[in-house]
Amino acid sequence: MPELLLPPPGKVIAKFIEELAKGRLQGDIGVSLRRVVSGYFLAAAFGIIMGVVMGMWQLFDKFFTLTFTAIRQIPMMAWVPLLIMWFGIGEESKVAVIFLAAYFPILMNTLNGIKRTDPKLLEVGRMFNIGTLRMFLNIYLPSALPHIFVGLKLGLSISWMAVVGAEMIAASSGIGFRLNDARSLMQFPIVFSGMIAIALVGVFMDWILTFISRLATPWAASK
Amino acid sequence: MNAKKPHLIVNELYKTFEVNNKRVTILKDINFALNKGQFLSIVGHSGCGKSTLLKIIAGLEGYEKGTVKVNGKKVVKSGLDRLMVFQDHRLFPWMKIKDNITIGLRGYSKSQKDDIAYKYLRMVNLKGFENAYPGQLSGGMSQRAAIARALINRPEILLLDEPFGALDALTRIQMQEEIMNIWQTQKTTMILVTHDIEEAIYLGERVIVMSSRPGTIGMKLNVDIAKDRASQEFAYYKSQIYGYFFKHEKKRR
Repeated sequence: MPELLLPPPGKVIAKFIEELAKGRLQGDIGVSLRRVVSGYFLAAAFGIIMGVVMGMWQLFDKFFTLTFTAIRQIPMMAWVPLLIMWFGIGEESKVAVIFLAAYFPILMNTLNGIKRTDPKLLEVGRMFNIGTLRMFLNIYLPSALPHIFVGLKLGLSISWMAVVGAEMIAASSGIGFRLNDARSLMQFPIVFSGMIAIALVGVFMDWILTFISRLATPWAASK
Repeated sequence: MNAKKPHLIVNELYKTFEVNNKRVTILKDINFALNKGQFLSIVGHSGCGKSTLLKIIAGLEGYEKGTVKVNGKKVVKSGLDRLMVFQDHRLFPWMKIKDNITIGLRGYSKSQKDDIAYKYLRMVNLKGFENAYPGQLSGGMSQRAAIARALINRPEILLLDEPFGALDALTRIQMQEEIMNIWQTQKTTMILVTHDIEEAIYLGERVIVMSSRPGTIGMKLNVDIAKDRASQEFAYYKSQIYGYFFKHEKKRR
């Protein structure tokens, strides 16, 4: 393989450090990260709410499941042309791609978690007549939390993929744009250092979520 | 309240379930009445519908025919006056023991709830485990917590669904003593469902023997005797119940 296409690790690392020193890498990551955060939080909020509603009331589950299963089959990148038509090439279309990408794994895992709540524990809740709100707060939610965090982690990594993908198709900023730009300029060390940065940020975000999930489920550690 | 009037009346109770598109009768013509503060044991094979009977009394399960009345009022839903202790403790793994056992309490502040929790945990010998999670407790301790979770609401009827079935023999005997003490001090009406004949005679003042498929009452006994497992009376009642089961088994074959 020519060095141009596969630069040696030393060169990539040197470029990585150089890009960091210039501040361009942080800038690119920062732009993408902002998009991820806004799309992801929207997806998390709507996904968890919808998953809970569908999980607790069968009627909603029956009503939406087929629609959602159908929509889920469409690859997220196939949404990009439509979303650009709707939202233009600005920030909104990228946030929308991320939202769509992260929404379904979060929704599906939340739904699964709520549905798998032990019916025996729900029976205890009914026996003590604790009411719908406390049924949710004291039984459904804590029982579903581990599943919700699986969905949140999955959604996060997918939204990170989605933003890079969307930026490579249509953007003038962000790490995905940088990769594509560097490719067209044949600057492969920049392509590699950008990929490394994406991986590092992804790992870091996963750590944060793991940390939060440990804090949120203290009983799991006491076993 | 009229002291002569039974606390609990179960009259001509029928219950069916749908299994594989077929109606199966689970309980057939169940009749009995219980006075306030009595201890009734129900023995029978697993699957004879005795747990279903408890759930009906608790209001967790509906019924097709007959009546179930507590204090003259028909049972239509669950209520804190009738609480169940299940075979599996069913504590919420995500709640500390003190929060688990106060789940049914209403109208108290957090610190008041804690105080009440401590009192009841002391009663079931779980002092010091207020802040533990159920995962840190042994089977016997979890079952004690489950008993405290019911008692803390001062139920009029405590329904015990094979509560010691999953415990080892020594712990079981210890727990039987504790239930006996609680019954004597709290004067709660208790119904114990079990497949352990000795346990049924030891704890119950009255014993109902159920036969299965469909669940019917096969025999009713008054066992208001001194609770001594080695006594002749004890052995007599034991042989009576064993005798019933053997006769019944032969007929089925």
